[in-house]
Amino acid sequence: MNDVLGKTEEVVKKAKALGADGVIAKTTFGRYRQVRFSNNQIDITVAWNDHVTDVALAWKKRLVATQIRDFKDVDANLKRLFDLAKVSKENPMFGGFAKGNFRYTKSKADEKLRELENMTDYVSEAINAAKKEAGSQIDSGGILFTKFEDIYLVSSEGPIGTDSRSAIELSIRVFSEREASGHGVECSSSLKDFKPARAGAKAGEIAVLAKNPKVGDEGVYDIIFDPLIFGSLLSVWGGMASAFNVMVQQSVFVNKLGEKVAPEVVSLRDNPAAYSMANRIFDDEGVPTRENVFIEHGVLKTYLHNTSTAKIFKTETTANAGLVAPNPWSIEMDNGDISKNELFEEMKKGLYLTNTWYTRFQNYAKGDFSTIPRDGIFLIEKGEVKQSLKDIRISDNILSMLGNIAGISKERQQVHWWGEVSRPCLAPYVLIKNVHITKSK
Amino acid sequence: MEEDIIDYALEYARGKGVEYAEVRGLSQVEERMMLRNGILEAYLSAVDSGFCVRIIADGGIGFASSNKWAREEVREIVDLAFRYAKNANRKDKIKFAEEKGVKTKWVVDQKEKIEDVSPEDKIAKLVNINQSLSSCGVNIPAIMTACMINLTSKYYVNSEGSRISSFVPKIGAYIFITVAEQGKTEQAYEQFGYSGGWEAFQKWGITEKLIHNAKILKNVIMKGKAVKAGTMDLVCGPEVTGIAAHESCGHPMEADRILGREMSQAGKSFIFEGGPFWIGSRIGSDVVTIVDDPTIEHSYGYYAFDDEGVKARRRFLYKNGIINEFLHNRESAARLGARSNGSSRSVNYDREAIVRMANTFVISGDMTEEELIEDVKYGVYMKSFTEWNIDDKRFNQRYVGREAYLIENGELKHPIARPVIETTTLKFWSAVDAVSEKVEFDAATCGKGDPAQGIPVYTGGPCIRLRGVYVK
Repeated sequence: MNDVLGKTEEVVKKAKALGADGVIAKTTFGRYRQVRFSNNQIDITVAWNDHVTDVALAWKKRLVATQIRDFKDVDANLKRLFDLAKVSKENPMFGGFAKGNFRYTKSKADEKLRELENMTDYVSEAINAAKKEAGSQIDSGGILFTKFEDIYLVSSEGPIGTDSRSAIELSIRVFSEREASGHGVECSSSLKDFKPARAGAKAGEIAVLAKNPKVGDEGVYDIIFDPLIFGSLLSVWGGMASAFNVMVQQSVFVNKLGEKVAPEVVSLRDNPAAYSMANRIFDDEGVPTRENVFIEHGVLKTYLHNTSTAKIFKTETTANAGLVAPNPWSIEMDNGDISKNELFEEMKKGLYLTNTWYTRFQNYAKGDFSTIPRDGIFLIEKGEVKQSLKDIRISDNILSMLGNIAGISKERQQVHWWGEVSRPCLAPYVLIKNVHITKSK
Repeated sequence: MEEDIIDYALEYARGKGVEYAEVRGLSQVEERMMLRNGILEAYLSAVDSGFCVRIIADGGIGFASSNKWAREEVREIVDLAFRYAKNANRKDKIKFAEEKGVKTKWVVDQKEKIEDVSPEDKIAKLVNINQSLSSCGVNIPAIMTACMINLTSKYYVNSEGSRISSFVPKIGAYIFITVAEQGKTEQAYEQFGYSGGWEAFQKWGITEKLIHNAKILKNVIMKGKAVKAGTMDLVCGPEVTGIAAHESCGHPMEADRILGREMSQAGKSFIFEGGPFWIGSRIGSDVVTIVDDPTIEHSYGYYAFDDEGVKARRRFLYKNGIINEFLHNRESAARLGARSNGSSRSVNYDREAIVRMANTFVISGDMTEEELIEDVKYGVYMKSFTEWNIDDKRFNQRYVGREAYLIENGELKHPIARPVIETTTLKFWSAVDAVSEKVEFDAATCGKGDPAQGIPVYTGGPCIRLRGVYVK
């Protein structure tokens, strides 16, 4: 390990010797594994081994970057990169890299995920749990994914550290009928907390409830969002909290710092803690990561920053640095004070949605968008599932929906899913009032 | 890229007594530039290279990849893929549709070699576009510009004797603008793509197109009116025709979706065996023919051979309104008793090749755009779109107009602000009664696969006229 850190440090020293003002080198040894399955059988098992050193070099407010895949090629790569910096254009807004000698907490990555090879048993466990709920005739598909990364980061501005990051994820979709499906996910940073049967059972349970769906009606509904679909919304709000997205008008939070954007019960934070699939102890500038509450009791408190955007907004970095833009790592919604069951019991008439896909915006700054619910859409009356529905679309405004949150459950689940839940989220069941539903005509 | 390592990997894999093995090596020279409001945020330049091994053994598939070019690594990677294939334990054994081995080389020509254009000139080109846009008389508070250059060398070998080398340069550009007037904003995203050299910029006419977009958005803010919802005629411009062809023809015709292999991600298809729609079913009117064609030279989705070594050709997906031919790779073709039609694509050495579109478009008719409009008493001309989506069986779709006009008695009137068509695939293509003669293409990045493989494609078509659809 120290050998790799030494070689990474060597990259920084060589770049400085060439005349760079600031340099960050981050070496990642990544080991990724995936099982893909459909029709209840394994389609393919995939392995990726990736070794790469990402280098960001600053010279006279010019930022250039490269990737080095073999330490033998360092000299040639750095010379080419520095030559590129010399002909590049100045970015007056570039605020440099974070300075300081930081102490990091110890990584809590699960070493068992470093060596895990036999993953098919976990897939079987999930499929069997789904069959137990929905019967042996189901059609199920999904993925099991594992990640183990060793990270070595050295910055010319002081930060130096190593991190290990682990994650395991199972995603399963179960069809009980051609148009009746349920989706479950199980996400964790460690094997100990990973229970694939939970995902299978949930997908199976929803798939059974979803049988015999009817086309839903247009209208305005109160809707209970399952953690999986609510994760899609949290991903959007979290992404829009990035200062970079604010600067390029891809956010509804432009000029809203300090304003009330949600009810009192809503607090959202970014927190790449040990439990999260996106666990990390420092960001890409080497700043120790932390919890950042960006919406506190309904008030937009901060954007998420790297050093450059923080300087533009006259604040401090929130340790969300990616190379160019700050990003949220792992978004949490604070839990509410009622149970999931109470949330349902109190609903006289409304919808319960479990998953969605294809979220697209007309205008990010305004927030007008639509998204297509799938995998269990239910009409709820007096707290009970009255009818399974299909073929509807949420056509609303993302800021209005944040403002119309009316209930949050105590229970929360870590969710992450292909496409829509693009970053891990700790999501509760949430009631949103007055959501607009449309359908094909 | 070290071809001897790839050959060695194949020989090592064959030595294990596999049913099938292939090795694909890639080297990608990449450059990315990102500008915010005309200021270069960052310039990335890197070379990525590696190889993957795909093996069929005992009817299962294993895939492993690495970017470490060493024989020891090769053996580890092949062993891993072989073990994974054996462990699949499938009841239905996977087979590939038959193909003959191919030995060939193919390249995409560049009139102006990207390698000869200096970084300064590349940056200057983008800065100039931004400057022209900033001074076009429209208030544009945010302009995001990105340019990606990718020079891909590939070497593909398989256990059936194929040995294919290729070189493909591609350029892509994305521009996202926000126009603000009278306290309101409108936004537009435009993508450009080309397989070939730096001459791409001349062909695209980015500056003119973006200035047009900016003025249109201003016009929509200042003069746009909502359409009175109801049943009316709709003329779709090539951009809207193209996205509809891609979403509601190309995707549902991907055989891996039809077979359920993408069920937990991008979903299945409204087309399935024993269902109401299959090969031979009517899905549109007689004038609707939609093809997917990777062989259009210099198109963003161009290739001569796919990533399973199968020669590319045009596929007639919907032919005169009838479901005609699915997009296949060798695995899906074997399952449905067909032959691969060269639709297997992968974005890199570390991703499996899956069924993909290339350039999907509606075939032209014989009317002019003006003739289509002349014959509309009351309707909307939706020239371009902003928000769009479609459900995961590819049946319920929605397109929201960005540039749109009211049509009254055959004449274009005032701009319509964000008209919406939300309808089914069957209704959309069945309502088409006329198709114009000029096909235009737009570049796009098609999303599919887990992990995601955003792949370059064209969407396109002529103007099409839909009779009696609901627009709101």
